[in-house]
Amino acid sequence: MIFIKAIIFINLYIFAIGILIIFMDKVISNYGECKVKINNDKEFEEHGGKTLLKALFENKYFIPSACGGKGTCGYCKLQVPEGGGPALPTEALILNSKELREGYRLSCQVKLREDLDVTIPAEYLEIKEYDAVIEQIELATSDIKKVKINLAEDDEINFKPGQYVQIMFDTPDGLDYRAYSIASTPERKNSIELNVKLIPEGLGSSYVHAKNKNDKIQFSGPYGDFFLRTDSHRKIVCVAGGVGLAPMKSIIDFWNNNPHGRKCELYYGSRTTKDLYDHEFFVKIAKENPDFSYYPALSDKDPEWNGECGFIHTVIEKYLEDGANSEAYLCGPEIMINFVTEVLIAKEIPQERISYDKF
Amino acid sequence: MINLLVILFASILTSNIALTYFLGMCPFVTISKNMKVAYGMGLAVTFVMVVTAMTNWLINKFILEALGIEFLQFLVFIVTIAAMVQIIEIFIDRYFPALYHAFGIFLPLITVNCAILGISLFMVLRTYGFFETLFFSVGSGLGWLLAIVSIGALRKKMIFSNPLEHFGVTGITAVLAGLMALAFIGFTGIARL
Amino acid sequence: MAEHINLKLPRKGYKLFKSKNWMVFAEGVWHNNPIFGMVLGLCSTLAVTNLMANAFVMSIAVTVVLVVNSAVISLIRNLIPDRARMITYMLIVSTIVITVDLFIKILFPKVSSTLGPYVALIITNCIVMGRCEAFAINNTPGLSISDALGAGIGYTFSLMVIAFFRELIGFGSLFGFKVIPDSIPTISLFSVPPGAFFALAIFIFFVNYIKKKYKLEGKH
Repeated sequence: MIFIKAIIFINLYIFAIGILIIFMDKVISNYGECKVKINNDKEFEEHGGKTLLKALFENKYFIPSACGGKGTCGYCKLQVPEGGGPALPTEALILNSKELREGYRLSCQVKLREDLDVTIPAEYLEIKEYDAVIEQIELATSDIKKVKINLAEDDEINFKPGQYVQIMFDTPDGLDYRAYSIASTPERKNSIELNVKLIPEGLGSSYVHAKNKNDKIQFSGPYGDFFLRTDSHRKIVCVAGGVGLAPMKSIIDFWNNNPHGRKCELYYGSRTTKDLYDHEFFVKIAKENPDFSYYPALSDKDPEWNGECGFIHTVIEKYLEDGANSEAYLCGPEIMINFVTEVLIAKEIPQERISYDKF
Repeated sequence: MINLLVILFASILTSNIALTYFLGMCPFVTISKNMKVAYGMGLAVTFVMVVTAMTNWLINKFILEALGIEFLQFLVFIVTIAAMVQIIEIFIDRYFPALYHAFGIFLPLITVNCAILGISLFMVLRTYGFFETLFFSVGSGLGWLLAIVSIGALRKKMIFSNPLEHFGVTGITAVLAGLMALAFIGFTGIARL
Repeated sequence: MAEHINLKLPRKGYKLFKSKNWMVFAEGVWHNNPIFGMVLGLCSTLAVTNLMANAFVMSIAVTVVLVVNSAVISLIRNLIPDRARMITYMLIVSTIVITVDLFIKILFPKVSSTLGPYVALIITNCIVMGRCEAFAINNTPGLSISDALGAGIGYTFSLMVIAFFRELIGFGSLFGFKVIPDSIPTISLFSVPPGAFFALAIFIFFVNYIKKKYKLEGKH
């Protein structure tokens, strides 16, 4: 008899607590409607309680973000002159004191509690959302897939070679997004190509890899400070590791059609012949265009390979000349970038002419 | 009234829950030497302790005893603690954002802190009434705060010393805690709980 | 994220039996020993090691709770929704602890009254939570039981050693039987709370000393 009483009570109790918490969450965490003013001009209203980044996204203002709102990448920083509250300790890890003093905040960490003013730079206001369809998706290496995406009929995307887009997908916790560089040339405005490497337990890469031809896909863009500078005649030095080849393809393809008298070199580091992709593409360009040099290197021993061996920075050391008249674009894992930067600086390429796309 | 004050002082000093009853030891070792963090955590623990002890007392008195199902105490207490922590977090986030910045991040950690559950259990064991529970929980919380802030301060001083390497971080914290516990024994005579 | 024990390179001494179960078990006993390997569950260690009888009963209780809890969680691991993890752990552990506490009250009444609320505090014992969250939620019941047993035996080992010295030096007895004659004075420091801290410190000292001396650390 007591047992039954006990079981009934416990179940009722837990149920009651569950209801209470859900109720309190809805009632108390209700911050009411908050007005968000953009650049002292446009404004919109949103329910309080969500992060500024999310609120902006949902109102079609796209802000770059690589970490999905976790507060680790720092891409989403914006000036919040009013209504942001005190900066959180998580933000102090990324923003330096000058930025904090000027009112910069990480929009993924700012919670909407009251009316808020925010300053969004002009480039971000260019960013759009696209509904697209997968035209083709195929394996290029054991874990990298090449994805060709067609935009809607009259839609076009204006980007610079080297920029990236953010693919949006649904998770149990809501909308999430991951950044991927555009591998195709900007001269094609109605479709883009992405190269996506499957990361174990990666939400974005598993989403993309599971797609098939004719599936729908949504993304926003273009984003990024990493793109080919077209205001100079210097030699273009591209250095890529692994799937970092993607933005380089865009840069080199664009350059090939608009050389403007510039020379171009590609140093590409991979592990084995199986991990090399689009090798023929670059070999072809090198054959047809004397101003292009292609230096692939494999770090693992491979008997079928009779090209360069070792890490890519040693190859650069060997072949790069005329650094003073070059500008460099790097994309790859952090260690590679560190080593390569040292070599480039030793070859007299100044720090300000070295651009990075770290992933 | 005197009895209540005795309980208050005894739980802070002579029967300090951390140094005498070893409750809430895990954060002792892991908490950094950062005094702000230690202080924040101590405040959070005190606050949660008082709220949960009072809630558990009420539930124990008016529901568990009324229905005669006291044996469910452990279950009900821990569920209440988890729920209260969640509710406190919602409340503070909304109405006191400054407080949330001070100790909000510790709240989920505190749910599994032995000290919180321990206080409720001691309250039942010693059959405290309403006010006794109140003073007891306030005192215990403050005592824990005192202990963790002191350990943090001592460990900060340890930067300049060279303890034997085999002790490791845990060992030396244990030694420090032991010495503090010895020192606190000096307060015996004020009261005995 | 769950720990994945690297089972490709068994450490020296674990090669006894090649089975996964043995390696997981052995990890819990020495390398990932809750007390000196992972520094968890200190609250109970300090409280019950004053007498060997207390330590013994407590270790049994903790081991039983660990094993049953890991087994149950592992069995239902695919049914637990992600958000409700913590509350599920608590419900299961509390039920197990209530039962174990009742058994101890019946089987060892004297020890039970000395232990007081510490048996109930197994609910919040970091070891139990830790093994759940790190292992049982992602592995099969068989492996989880081995892991829990390993942690439990490791815990027992640490507790009994500390209690042995604390009772011997503090009270002059072992398991309640007077071993040291009355003429030799005991260091009663070890029978009071501060002594618990010192005993723990000394224990850790010797364990680290042995580890260093025989290079038993062994990283992957």
